[in-house]
Amino acid sequence: MKRILIQDTNGDQKKALRDFSVSFTTQLRERGLSDAAQVVTVADIGVYNKGIVAKILPEGFIYVNLDAARIGEIIEKTIQKGEKVQDLLLDKKNKQMRLGLRNCGVIDPESIEEYIAVDGYQGLAKALAMGPEKVIEEMKKAGLRGRGGAGFPTWMKWNITRGIKGDLKYIICNGDEGDPGAYMDRSVLEGDPHSVIEGMMIGGLAIGATQGIFYIRAEYPLAVARIQKAIDVCYTKGLLGKNILGSSFNFDIEIRLGAGAFVCGEETALIASVEGLRGYPRPRPPFPSVKGLWGKPTVINNVETLANISYILFHGGEAFGKIGVEGSTGTKVFALTGKVRNSGLVEVPMGITLREIVFDIGGGVFENRKIKAIQTGGPSGGVIPEQFFDTPVGYESLQKLGSIMGSGGMIVLDENDCAVDISKFYLGFCVDESCGKCAPCRIGGTQMLVILKKISEGKGTEDDLKKLEQIAQAMQKASLCGLGQTAPNPVLSTLKYFMAEYRAHVIDHKCPSGKCASLVSYSINKEKCTGCGMCARVCPADAITGTRQEKYTIDAAKCISCGQCFDVCKFTAVIRQ
Amino acid sequence: MTIDQLNAIKEETQKKSAQNWIHVGYSTCGVAAGAKEVFEALLEESKARNLTIEIKKCGCVGLCSAEPLVEVNVEGAPRVFYGKVNKDVAHKIIEEHVCQKKLVEGHIYEI
Repeated sequence: MKRILIQDTNGDQKKALRDFSVSFTTQLRERGLSDAAQVVTVADIGVYNKGIVAKILPEGFIYVNLDAARIGEIIEKTIQKGEKVQDLLLDKKNKQMRLGLRNCGVIDPESIEEYIAVDGYQGLAKALAMGPEKVIEEMKKAGLRGRGGAGFPTWMKWNITRGIKGDLKYIICNGDEGDPGAYMDRSVLEGDPHSVIEGMMIGGLAIGATQGIFYIRAEYPLAVARIQKAIDVCYTKGLLGKNILGSSFNFDIEIRLGAGAFVCGEETALIASVEGLRGYPRPRPPFPSVKGLWGKPTVINNVETLANISYILFHGGEAFGKIGVEGSTGTKVFALTGKVRNSGLVEVPMGITLREIVFDIGGGVFENRKIKAIQTGGPSGGVIPEQFFDTPVGYESLQKLGSIMGSGGMIVLDENDCAVDISKFYLGFCVDESCGKCAPCRIGGTQMLVILKKISEGKGTEDDLKKLEQIAQAMQKASLCGLGQTAPNPVLSTLKYFMAEYRAHVIDHKCPSGKCASLVSYSINKEKCTGCGMCARVCPADAITGTRQEKYTIDAAKCISCGQCFDVCKFTAVIRQ
Repeated sequence: MTIDQLNAIKEETQKKSAQNWIHVGYSTCGVAAGAKEVFEALLEESKARNLTIEIKKCGCVGLCSAEPLVEVNVEGAPRVFYGKVNKDVAHKIIEEHVCQKKLVEGHIYEI
């Protein structure tokens, strides 16, 4: 039986789609094909802004920009003969590639048998047969770089720790994912816990560690529960403990919970937290690879990095190294959120363009508003405006644009988002999360936030913009840890790309996107107003009064500039200035 | 455990793998959107009809905005994802997709 999946991909042709569906079904019936094909309207067909789209199963042909006139031809050629209608066909390739998320949604995360059935722990078996040097060699071929943000080559990190003499070494999994809007680590921990455990065991074997520690934030209770369950079952099955898989390799794992401080994702603060101390970073060197947990050599790897390692060892470093681009191999999971139609996790090979991620996979901005930029790398990253969307994704390419890959948060901003407001949000986050140990971060961050607030209230001066830049540079150079060094990035990158918007705030005292509440005022155009009263009903300040005949007015003294009346008015009668 | 035992588990589990199955996205995003209710509804409905179908909790496939997501694979119908599933849709999935081999209207997501 053939299935014809149909959808209106523009979102504005509801009736046309209904007619198309009825007409298709009728024509099938007229030809006596009612039992040979089913027409189904779907929620998302994976193609956007291409009118009415049909996908024929099992062939998988996708036809775009359809109208009822083409139905007969589709039935004759495709439904009856299985042939393509060439001029309607869309050649669509799947842009996603799942390595880190390979088992998420496929296996039951609480069943070790299912993980073993999809080649689980085979990478470890291979690693045990190879021995530590060859494992590191394999990782070098793969070219995997840390997925937590900094992008340090994993093999190099391992090699340094391996080279240091010591009876006791540690490997820690950093599951303290704290960037606003980023949750790929949570998803991997919850969806495929054994792959992370396997990666950690391989890492332990390579560096000569016998103890692994999961550091997971307490806000992820389900992730913690699933990892704990996975560890327990590994012990009962003999996959953890002594003489793993019949070898001389011994390895133990335990969990430590993070109490929700953002700074504890920084490796030296993380170590302090695991030791039971306050989560303060300390100056490096010595790096944790040399002197880490309890003064012993320690490797800290991110969740996604570890999930990739089990894959690399099983499939070989060379195969992994072929994916992606030179210098940035493999895939990266991004948490695509913000003003995008399909928010969620996407995993793509490195080298794909930002445009493909946002438009082809994410489906573009909802309500077809204009896209402004994307924010990558969370509070340590920056914004990338639309003119750079054709940049291929990689560690260096994003850095050149003044942003970073980071742990993989990707927030889509549209024309209603204000650059000043965005940088105020991210800087505010870092000021809240600053541990307060070093002055540049503690004082610099607070002062920058004061200036940004001033600007968003329309009280800023041109001098303030210079000051922002000066403080930002001082913070980058003089802060103790990554948090302070990168906290000014969102401010610097918005200054770089959206200077005109900053200037509009300080010179004209206007917020072009209408986001900064103190700089916008609302009024009602009486000619357009129909007197429906929707605005008055949603107004939280009771600032709108009127009747159907007299129309409505806004009392400027009571108005708090929340913009709800503007959003709710169907007749564009509310004016924002 | 030895490598031979590991391989034995692998073979045995692969042999046992079900022909007809339903996967329910059961990570934080799915659970928050109501996956528990959906899972229970699917289980209840399939029991009431004495169906031999494996219904299993899985991790998140990624399209969190469409959670709860349910993937269905039964012989005689294409393998599809249903998104924004609730109790009613869960009943329809069993009744229409699993039993009648007809796809359910309005909830398919191509991922």
